[in-house]
Amino acid sequence: MADKLDVKQGTLALMILKTLEGLGPLHGYGIARRIEETSKNRLTLNYGTLYPALLKLEQEGFIKAEWRQSENNRRAKFYALTATGRKQLARETREWHETADLIAAFLAPRREAP
Amino acid sequence: MRHIRAALARIAGVFSKDTADDDLREEMQAHLEMEIAENVRRGMRPEEARRQALLASGGLTAAAEAVRDQRGLPWAESIAADLKYGFRALRRSPAFTAVVVVTLALGIGANTAIFSVVRAVLLKPLPHRDGDRLVYLRQSMDGPGGADINFSVPEVRDFRNGAPALGSIAEFSPWFGTLLGKDDAIRIDVGLVTGNFFEVMGLSPILGRLTRPSDDGPGVPAVMVLTYDFWMKRFRGDSSIVGKQVRLDGSSLTVIGVLQPAPWFPDRMDALANMVISPHHLSAVMVEGRSHRMTAMIARLASGSTVDEAKNEVAAVYERMQRDNKGDYNAGSHYRIAVIPFKEALGERARLTLWILMAAAAFVMIISAANVANLTLMRGMRREHELVVRAALGAGVGRLRRLLLVENLLLTLTGAVAGLGIAVAGVRLLTSLAERYSPRASEIRLDSQVLGFTLAIAVALALLLSFLASLPREGSFAERIAAGVRRLTGDTRKQRLQRGLVVAQVAVSVVLLAGAGLLTRTMVQLSQVNTGLRAEEVLTMQVPLLQIGGGPSDGTDPRAWFRTLLQSDAAAKVRYDQMRREIAGLPGVIEVGVGSSTPLRASMTSFEVKAEGKSVPVGDATPRADFRTAAPEYFSAAGIPLIKGRAFAATDGVGTGKVAIINRTLADKFFPGEDPIGKRIAWTGEVLKFSPISPEWRTIVGVVGNTQDGGQDAPPRAAVFMPFTQELAMSGVIVIRTDSDAASLAPTVTRIVHRIAPAAPIENVMTVKQIKDQSLAPRRLNAALVASFGILAVLIAAVGIAGVLAFSVSARTNEIGIRMSLGADSGRVQRMILGEGGVLVVLGLAVGVAGAFFATRFIRGLLFGVAPNDPTTFVSVAVMMAAIGIVACWIPALRAARIDPAITMRST
Repeated sequence: MADKLDVKQGTLALMILKTLEGLGPLHGYGIARRIEETSKNRLTLNYGTLYPALLKLEQEGFIKAEWRQSENNRRAKFYALTATGRKQLARETREWHETADLIAAFLAPRREAP
Repeated sequence: MRHIRAALARIAGVFSKDTADDDLREEMQAHLEMEIAENVRRGMRPEEARRQALLASGGLTAAAEAVRDQRGLPWAESIAADLKYGFRALRRSPAFTAVVVVTLALGIGANTAIFSVVRAVLLKPLPHRDGDRLVYLRQSMDGPGGADINFSVPEVRDFRNGAPALGSIAEFSPWFGTLLGKDDAIRIDVGLVTGNFFEVMGLSPILGRLTRPSDDGPGVPAVMVLTYDFWMKRFRGDSSIVGKQVRLDGSSLTVIGVLQPAPWFPDRMDALANMVISPHHLSAVMVEGRSHRMTAMIARLASGSTVDEAKNEVAAVYERMQRDNKGDYNAGSHYRIAVIPFKEALGERARLTLWILMAAAAFVMIISAANVANLTLMRGMRREHELVVRAALGAGVGRLRRLLLVENLLLTLTGAVAGLGIAVAGVRLLTSLAERYSPRASEIRLDSQVLGFTLAIAVALALLLSFLASLPREGSFAERIAAGVRRLTGDTRKQRLQRGLVVAQVAVSVVLLAGAGLLTRTMVQLSQVNTGLRAEEVLTMQVPLLQIGGGPSDGTDPRAWFRTLLQSDAAAKVRYDQMRREIAGLPGVIEVGVGSSTPLRASMTSFEVKAEGKSVPVGDATPRADFRTAAPEYFSAAGIPLIKGRAFAATDGVGTGKVAIINRTLADKFFPGEDPIGKRIAWTGEVLKFSPISPEWRTIVGVVGNTQDGGQDAPPRAAVFMPFTQELAMSGVIVIRTDSDAASLAPTVTRIVHRIAPAAPIENVMTVKQIKDQSLAPRRLNAALVASFGILAVLIAAVGIAGVLAFSVSARTNEIGIRMSLGADSGRVQRMILGEGGVLVVLGLAVGVAGAFFATRFIRGLLFGVAPNDPTTFVSVAVMMAAIGIVACWIPALRAARIDPAITMRST
């Protein structure tokens, strides 16, 4: 728990979409747990970060929400990926890889010119 | 797409707040419980599990707030709250609100109204296609009537050949004629134009067609284009007029089209016709005579050429013209030429007046803004406490600033709306003023640009007011709350600002009052100028009977045409005589005279004149005089005094020797210290060749007094009168002197005239008093406007002084109470407050008088008979301002003197 990272602007939405793609419909707690685990607990998500992000994705039509019984019989709001959300995820994934490649190329140690 | 969807979802979110809040609470609660359950499963004790879960959540309330911000439109909601708050705050102080709104309404109303005029008359692009490429050429010379003398055909030809930057040149001759209607006749102004005129001007027809080059030259059908205004006025917008024939003087013309609305310069026109209706314009004498100047020139600059290039080329051509034709440009008359962008020419006469009015309105705006700023400052100090509390409760400085801004916007926009009401009424009044100065007055409108101007003033004021108030700085709250005292007087910086504003108000008021005073004195001086007429109850009217039209262009033989003209002249004179006799028989009529021109109005024609045996010194302007004719009774009827010799007599007829009566100005010019009676004068100059006026010697039989024919402010013009019977009966004017109310005679006289000459137009039915008033009307309105701005400014400034002092008194109640209990009597307290205000007034006066000395120089052109730094005006303005300032100080001073020390001490 030493160095916790803040979630970078814009990356949380991608993480949420990816999580929902992998695990199917999930409630807020499940999404938060999954993201924290995947980050090996380097990220923490408080409610004030998570729920506005979920609402924003819902407003944009990338996910939809529905009240359901949870695994331990508790009423919870489940979020699921929509068709547009799936497309958005594909697009953002591709863009993210491109950016990452670019930054990596930039940061790689250069050879001296012969 | 995704943004639109998100925006819609957010707007929907504003309205589904409550259910969404419940939902969120339940969702987060579920999250929390799942987390607690998980923590317990990992082996924590229940309390610890809950504590850790809550810690990880980062605060449920803050999260709910963050979600709420994402859900709806937070800024819109908080602005709505600010608005609600602002309304409530303003309703709670109705006096403050009312004073501010009224002050702003006056300032904004005045500015909006005047700006709408400035925009229409001076700023708006012309309706002409690429109107900024048009230039007006003006030839001038010294002497009365020399300001704009037009061009002759050879001159136009020289410019066309020698100044390529002028591109294409449109020619235009002002003309007039009698248009016959079904059962009436009217005198209309007709512009004779070349075929290319409308093409050059960039104007289009709204009906039919305009003239084109095939309408030039002799032997073509006569055609007429109606201007929009005349078409609406005379033909009520009847589109079937196109293609019909109309009778103008002797000629028959086909109406070919109606022109789009457009301003005319230099004169308003009713219709345009091709040159063929004027035999004169096609005759060889006109085409060849360099001094026969009848054409106005408007040019469209060649593409790529600038006004400066055109100016240089025109100046070079003009210099060459003068060198090659010395006889036509007498050096003493200082012939000169100017190239003026057409838009500027149109705004020329209105410019100075309008900018002065705009400046006056801006001054009123400054004063009202200062007043509102002062009121807001005072209110801000009273509210300081409230703002500190709000800040302590969590409102950030930004939020408080926005609250103030919303409140001030409410105030200024309400003021602007009320101001628009004032502007609507003001624009109507101003349009009647602008009509006298500008051909573009019909374009005055409260359009979107003017409304934008008003809105900009309101918003700028609101911003200014919001940032004037100092807000508690972040971090200083605790200190302020701890202080807990009511510090109503504010800090010294604010006090200085308030006082500065009062000084500025007084100063600006003084400048406005000085301007108003000078313009008012100008009015008084002008109305006191002796018109030269001995009688006031004189009715005049213009009844043109002579038909000049027809002529050689109709294919008539010139000599036959001249015979017809003489017959028409003889018939006209018989009718004038009949009218004179019948009108003279009416009760109350003392004398009736007929002549060619109305007293107190410039004659339409003036010519060069010479006296026998007198030579004009080299370097002097060529003497010119107004050409006027008069029947024997004319002078007595008009009240023009005979100074020497005799009036005309019935014996000065067609067969007898030519005689003349000159006015004092001409007598002084030609015969200083001599008796002019019996001497001879004659009309002269090249132009005579083109007119039916004979250049023979005429014996002077009398000298009459000068009359103010060029207006009350113009120097007297030289004039020569000839017997009505010895010249053509041009534009007959009937002058009727009565023993009582002359105006009441108008209907009866009009009936008689109409019976004798049913087809003649009867125009300008006015008493000489009305003519004089009419010439003063624009100046009177002008002076009245500036004066009302001045009075408005002083009133607002007085409210400002009284307000600031009253505030200072109420803030110093305790101090005054202490002073009084220590022995200061009420007189002393009163003097203290008076002194406090007096210093401000005196400072304002000093700055204002200095400013007025500087500012009044700009209105020199509008003054008559009074210097820009007229001491009488300055002293009376200062006294008036001081008096009002003292009254304004007195009220709060009295209040201070009535403070009861016992009560104030107890309430501390």
